[in-house]
Amino acid sequence: MLEYFLPRASSFAGSIDHLFDIITYLVMFWFVLVLGFFFYVVFRFRHKPGQKAEYITGETHKQKMAIEIPHYLILVCDLVILGYTFVVWHEVKIDIPPHDEEVRVIAQQWAWTFEHAGADGILDTEDDIVTINELHLKKDAQYTYHLSSLDVMHSFSIPVFRLKQDAVPGRVISGHFKPIMSGEWDVQCAEMCGYGHGFMPARVFIKSAEEHDAWVAENTPDHLKKDTAYALTDSETKEAPNNG
Amino acid sequence: MVAALSSAEDERGKQLYVNCLACHGADGSGNKLLNAPAIAGLSEKYVSAQIMKFKAGHRGGDPRDAAGMQMRPMMALLTSDADVAAVSKYVASLESKPIAATITDGDPEKGKALYMTCQACHGADGKGNDMLNSPSLLNQHDWYLVSQLHKFKDGIRGANPEDITGSQMRPMAMILADEQAVKDVVAYVQSLSQ
Repeated sequence: MLEYFLPRASSFAGSIDHLFDIITYLVMFWFVLVLGFFFYVVFRFRHKPGQKAEYITGETHKQKMAIEIPHYLILVCDLVILGYTFVVWHEVKIDIPPHDEEVRVIAQQWAWTFEHAGADGILDTEDDIVTINELHLKKDAQYTYHLSSLDVMHSFSIPVFRLKQDAVPGRVISGHFKPIMSGEWDVQCAEMCGYGHGFMPARVFIKSAEEHDAWVAENTPDHLKKDTAYALTDSETKEAPNNG
Repeated sequence: MVAALSSAEDERGKQLYVNCLACHGADGSGNKLLNAPAIAGLSEKYVSAQIMKFKAGHRGGDPRDAAGMQMRPMMALLTSDADVAAVSKYVASLESKPIAATITDGDPEKGKALYMTCQACHGADGKGNDMLNSPSLLNQHDWYLVSQLHKFKDGIRGANPEDITGSQMRPMAMILADEQAVKDVVAYVQSLSQ
């Protein structure tokens, strides 16, 4: 149902949506049924000529059954929701698949810094591409993100991914996502983080592998590119630290 | 007519300043806890120029500048040149007040010699000079001056090729050889405010 309002752009967005659907439909079913029954008895046993409206205390076994049976059935529905919640929680938060790409997400008042691993695919190397409020991702690549905060609590939220993860100062929280749809979407902070909370929107850009690689190449300094005339040879790279 | 327009602009500037006062304070005296410098009494031209730099990402656009990045969303609230002008005028109209020192191990005597380089633009009295795009340094928080000098030295501020006036400060900051030199010159600047 949610996909009609917001596309599903991550591999697990469908699971989150299904969970919401199950909760929505079950609650809707019981809501309609209970209210329907309620209005039926109000109308059916109303005061009218020859029939006196009666106040029932609900103490007899038969009267109690009207509450108990739906009660147990709703508990069964709760267990279904709970069971599916565990399945989805495991998929989204616990089971982190091996990654193709890594990205570091740093939240602060009131901006996001994204550290992309660059051409070598390894974080904390010279060719990392650091951007503010712009997250660039490769479609169909499995990502692991490492989320931290510089100051207060934030929440890393990409609605089209159905992803929301708190960023807690002093902790690095890792998670995963796999973009499955090209496009440009919102990234937002979903935890009240101070005066500028409403003004720290970022954008996620999901591109095909070729387009993403072109973006990486465009943002990699020439001397770090392996296939250009400016590239340092392996021996130059090793000697560099000794040169001063 | 002119007076009425001017009055409307003043009122607009005061309204817009509501977005600033959470960090910079109603009197523009700043707040260390929120990394906010004193802005009261800074020249209209300088404030306006800095706002435009934040808007364009020439300042606060380096991922290492966490405090500068705090200003980014605030700038998004100023949507027109007229708003920038109005709030800059209001900031300039606020009265600059003395600020208590927090750094005590700087030597103003040594700083005085280092300040010779600075005074070419900021003036011997530290009041700045709009013609040279240099702000007043008086009644400014010492921790802010120290942090900005470090940012200029480290290429976090003034390193964007579009930031012409900021890039003028970089070589000036580079003459401060070490942390103590930075503290010394800031100590001297603080003495100018007294």
